[in-house]
Amino acid sequence: MFFHRALAFLLVLSMAPGFAAAAHAGDRIVVTGSSTIAPLMAEIGKRYEKLHPGLRIDVQSGGSTRGVTDVRAGLSDIGMVSRAMTAGESDLLAYEIARDGVAIILHRDNPLTELSNRQIVDIYTGRATDWADVGGKPGKITVVNKAEGRSTLELFLAHFGLGVRDIVAHVVIGDNQQGIKTVSANPGAIGYVSIGTAEFEASVGTPVKLLGLEGVPASVANVKNGTYPLSRPLNLVVRPADRERLEPVTSFARSADVDDIVADQFFVPSHP
Amino acid sequence: MPDFSSVRRRIFAPQARDGALRMAIWAAAGILFACAAWLMLDVAVRGAAGLDWRFLVDEPARAGRAGGIGPILVSTGLILAVAIAVAAPLGLAAAIFLAEFLPSGSRFAAWTSISLDVLAGIPSIVFGLFGNAFFSVWLGMGFSILSGGLTLACMILPLLIRTAEHGLRMVPDEWRHGAAALGMSRFSSVWRIVLPAAGPAVTAGLLLGLGRATAETAALVFTSGYVDRMPSSLLDSGRALSLHIYDLAMNVAGGDRNAYASALVLLLFLIVVNGLAMSFSDYLLRKRIAA
Repeated sequence: MFFHRALAFLLVLSMAPGFAAAAHAGDRIVVTGSSTIAPLMAEIGKRYEKLHPGLRIDVQSGGSTRGVTDVRAGLSDIGMVSRAMTAGESDLLAYEIARDGVAIILHRDNPLTELSNRQIVDIYTGRATDWADVGGKPGKITVVNKAEGRSTLELFLAHFGLGVRDIVAHVVIGDNQQGIKTVSANPGAIGYVSIGTAEFEASVGTPVKLLGLEGVPASVANVKNGTYPLSRPLNLVVRPADRERLEPVTSFARSADVDDIVADQFFVPSHP
Repeated sequence: MPDFSSVRRRIFAPQARDGALRMAIWAAAGILFACAAWLMLDVAVRGAAGLDWRFLVDEPARAGRAGGIGPILVSTGLILAVAIAVAAPLGLAAAIFLAEFLPSGSRFAAWTSISLDVLAGIPSIVFGLFGNAFFSVWLGMGFSILSGGLTLACMILPLLIRTAEHGLRMVPDEWRHGAAALGMSRFSSVWRIVLPAAGPAVTAGLLLGLGRATAETAALVFTSGYVDRMPSSLLDSGRALSLHIYDLAMNVAGGDRNAYASALVLLLFLIVVNGLAMSFSDYLLRKRIAA
């Protein structure tokens, strides 16, 4: 009896590939790539599905490089790439749906208005431990760093040419809200959080201030126009041959209809 | 209690050695227990705040920061069901073949057991990449619960085979001889005598496999995938609970609360499965002794 059931199961299983081929008809759009974009794209996909019943958008994560190779190999329809496209990737069409910006924040009572990249590196590697070392009012510096695995940490490290092990942190935080709370409660603290969150909190009176970088003020507007240095584009990529077929999805992902979803993930919308 | 004032003088005295050994064992057990208790308390305290009935049945919203884990629980259950349904019969058959039908000294048996041990030690991400290449791409299953379940089945098979084989080998040969003397066929002696006797070991192996499969993340990223919609068939992509926890903790700003609540659900599930399997194996053992 048991063996009969097991045999029947294996028979059903052996037919599975046939079913799979049928299931991959044109009503399903597969999106793969950057795990930073995946939660955002999954939410955009859900909203798009509501507007287009019968169509399904399956979002898979796995990293930006995988996003590029999957689209090239035809394993996915759309790739997600959370960095600038390289010269070797010009065979694909890229659509920027949003930007991710990171702002360095200080307590509002800290008199400093600007730090050079060198000074920020000194503070984060423990070479400068007092605000007087970087031209500020004497007082101990509390270094607030992000937990490993956060995309803002990666962006911060890459921009300043640091490795995870180089950083000497006093407080390690998880999300943006925690960073805002830590810095606003500690006049000697320095931290970095997603720029959308920081600008919102500063505007509603939380005692934090955003520090400009390389002479550019930290603001959502400067992330949007590309002048703020500590930011990166979030791209969708498609094969040129699929351009027209996927045009409804790629333009929906860049439209004002999803601005609230983009902001909810602490990114900055970029419209065409 | 050992007499510590004399330890230096009689460092090699059996009494002192015994005492030191006992201390070391107690310390090791204590540290182990403290670690487990700390971990569970941490998850329980932080997770309990977000855990209620609605959390278990609702769909996730706002990338998992709001809503619940209903579809994710269903996907996880289906992935595990596929994995166990495939791995259990195959693993048991392979174990019976190795333990009962293959001469134990043969070169083939030696090679099989070496390759099984090598397979058991392979990192799960390798199984994930294999599953993606073989099931998802080559067999055309795409990102699907079926592909994820089959990948997990491959991953836990060596574990299942090894534990079941050990269980079967522990059954005394006199039982087999007795069955043969009564004129029972090789098949019925295995099916009616040896297998029930090895029941507890086989159950323990299944349980270990189930636990490993439930906790798996790396093997599922590229096979069963990331989609957190309610699955409508085994060919839909479905996010496993462990992957959901990883994503909330690492990718989604503000996802910590629901990550902890999901981790608590995973922990409770593992405790329940462990408890059930242990009492089931006790039941099998008692039945065997009574019979």
